[in-house]
Amino acid sequence: MQLAINIAVLAAIYALIACGYVLIYRVSRVLNLAHGELMMLSSYLLLTTASLFSGNPLIALGVAVGLSLCVGVLVYLFLMRRMTGEMVLAAVLTTVALGVLLRGLVVLIWSAQQQNPAQALGWVNYSLPVFGGRISAAGAGLIMTTALVYVGLFLFLRFTRYGIRMRAAGQNPLLAAQRGISLHVIYALAWGLSTLTGALAGILISLDSGLDSTMVLIGLKAFPAALVGGLDSLAGALIGALIIAAAEVLMIYYVDALLSDVVPFLVLILMLIVRPWGLFGTREELDRV
Amino acid sequence: MLNRSLLAAAALAGLTGAAFAQDAYNVGLTGALTGPAAGTYAPAVDGLRIYIDKVNAAGGVNGKKINLILLDDSAQPAKAAANATRLVTDDKVVLLLNASLSSTYAPIMAESQKANVPLIFASSVCPKTVYPPANALQFCTTAFAANYDSRAVLDFVKATAKEPVKLGLSAMAIPISRGEIDYAEELSKTLGMTPVSKQIIPPPTPDYTPFATLIKDAGANWVYSWAPWVTQVRTLEGLRRLGWTGDYVAWAHLEAENELARLKDGKFFVVGANALFQEDLPIQKEIAAAAKAAGSQYPVNQMTEGWIAGMVIEAALKASGWPANAEKITASLSNLKVDLKGLRGGELQWTKDNHFRTKQYYRVYRWDEAKAAIVRVQDWKAFDVK
Repeated sequence: MQLAINIAVLAAIYALIACGYVLIYRVSRVLNLAHGELMMLSSYLLLTTASLFSGNPLIALGVAVGLSLCVGVLVYLFLMRRMTGEMVLAAVLTTVALGVLLRGLVVLIWSAQQQNPAQALGWVNYSLPVFGGRISAAGAGLIMTTALVYVGLFLFLRFTRYGIRMRAAGQNPLLAAQRGISLHVIYALAWGLSTLTGALAGILISLDSGLDSTMVLIGLKAFPAALVGGLDSLAGALIGALIIAAAEVLMIYYVDALLSDVVPFLVLILMLIVRPWGLFGTREELDRV
Repeated sequence: MLNRSLLAAAALAGLTGAAFAQDAYNVGLTGALTGPAAGTYAPAVDGLRIYIDKVNAAGGVNGKKINLILLDDSAQPAKAAANATRLVTDDKVVLLLNASLSSTYAPIMAESQKANVPLIFASSVCPKTVYPPANALQFCTTAFAANYDSRAVLDFVKATAKEPVKLGLSAMAIPISRGEIDYAEELSKTLGMTPVSKQIIPPPTPDYTPFATLIKDAGANWVYSWAPWVTQVRTLEGLRRLGWTGDYVAWAHLEAENELARLKDGKFFVVGANALFQEDLPIQKEIAAAAKAAGSQYPVNQMTEGWIAGMVIEAALKASGWPANAEKITASLSNLKVDLKGLRGGELQWTKDNHFRTKQYYRVYRWDEAKAAIVRVQDWKAFDVK
């Protein structure tokens, strides 16, 4: 049972991060390679809000998540908006530069030392018994949050006005613009939501096991999950995350823990050979990459 | 928060190094002042900077100031190589220092050998070349020591365990950590312990629970980890989340004191060669006062390594006289004895063949729930370094 729990927690981490990659790619065809850095920034924002609202952990959490959403929107408005209409490669390289900048800023502002947001919030990460195994409260939070985010995104994209506009902008931006949809609003919303989901992942990971600047690498490790599932498919990101997490944990259990670090990329290479557009992605979308 | 004064000092020292060159002891350091590894090195470097500032404020050494030039390598070998070249050729330092990851060692060692300038590893892990028979130009002040640390830890485990030891081992997947845990595994067998699980954990691991599960399922009643702090503590937290109630022992890195207080785990032991600040020694009060006066934003209990390096540099320069050159300083370093005033178990002594130290002392601490404080579990125990 513990094996299943371990896979579920890791899959939830990857799925929550991967949906951020998918949201932006699906709407604007931009591969956001600063997603890990934005996720890390959100966790550090929690450190600051925890000290600002000491004794009110829920407010601190809420403000940190809200700020993360704003950061995503601002990144689009002040940076990525200028990339609209430019080559996709230019936009992708801009996100790389943004990532480098954020990494430097985080160390300058919060230092490279390990931090513990849970301690700053005065929150205890209890261990909970589940079906004969055990899970941390933050781990359980990760699974529940991932489920809520995916259900929420499904409902948002399917049934709300802005969700439908977002899908329309992703399918055919020119036609969507001609129909009166403001692409800048939609893209800003996508960046905001993407950063928000990354923030939820980063915050929960940091509550579970602390925070330092290596969190960026976790963002990178979730990237294969998005690609394996198909970069333009949220359901694919979920399945991809499950496949990558299962491969990683099974490798730790039954083969060699050292290979767990490379197995996500081995699965990715295999997928790129067999089905380059991912399990649920479309061939047409990949050609644009 | 970042200690901006450290980076400012680095920038200023970089700009003014040559100006001081004629009338001061030029000492150059390349270290991980920024980047992911900075958390381990920057507090120590700040401790060193504060110590040197204190010496300079008191008139310097032999009537001359120490011009400490700090250069950031972000733990990148290419930057470290460029820094070392600059320090030796442009700044004409008489002493090189390294406070960075072991991956930066090769270019600095090469530059030190080429220019015949002594090199001290201060807060970075001691390379094999400082142990007997030592390389003539390489020295190390850092507390931790491969192999000796595991001997001390397993010696403590053997003395403390009330039942047969089934040992779990945890390392980070980097050569230094892995090598030490391999050594501990073999050593444990000779001490009558049974190693039941050894986990080599890749650094960017989002969840340590799978590794902890394997250690727990193997039936370990003691776990030993010798790795960067993040791996040590996250493995422990993973084990506790699984309901494991055994004893856990790890190396007392810079973060140990704050982390013992955070975790409040009575069965978590840290073994180290530096006295924790809860000892409240006069020298520790002095460090705290100096750090406060300097406005340092790093935790004062993480500055011991830098302070010790400063004491060693001061003693070596003093013995070298003025004017000093690299040759004279190498000679004084090779015959050095420094009273560390309780920061370690005894004085730091270097000889012609031993540039690590002739004796290595270890103390063990843990959190005491009843006292709500960190307590000493085992006092200084000496190990001869041969």
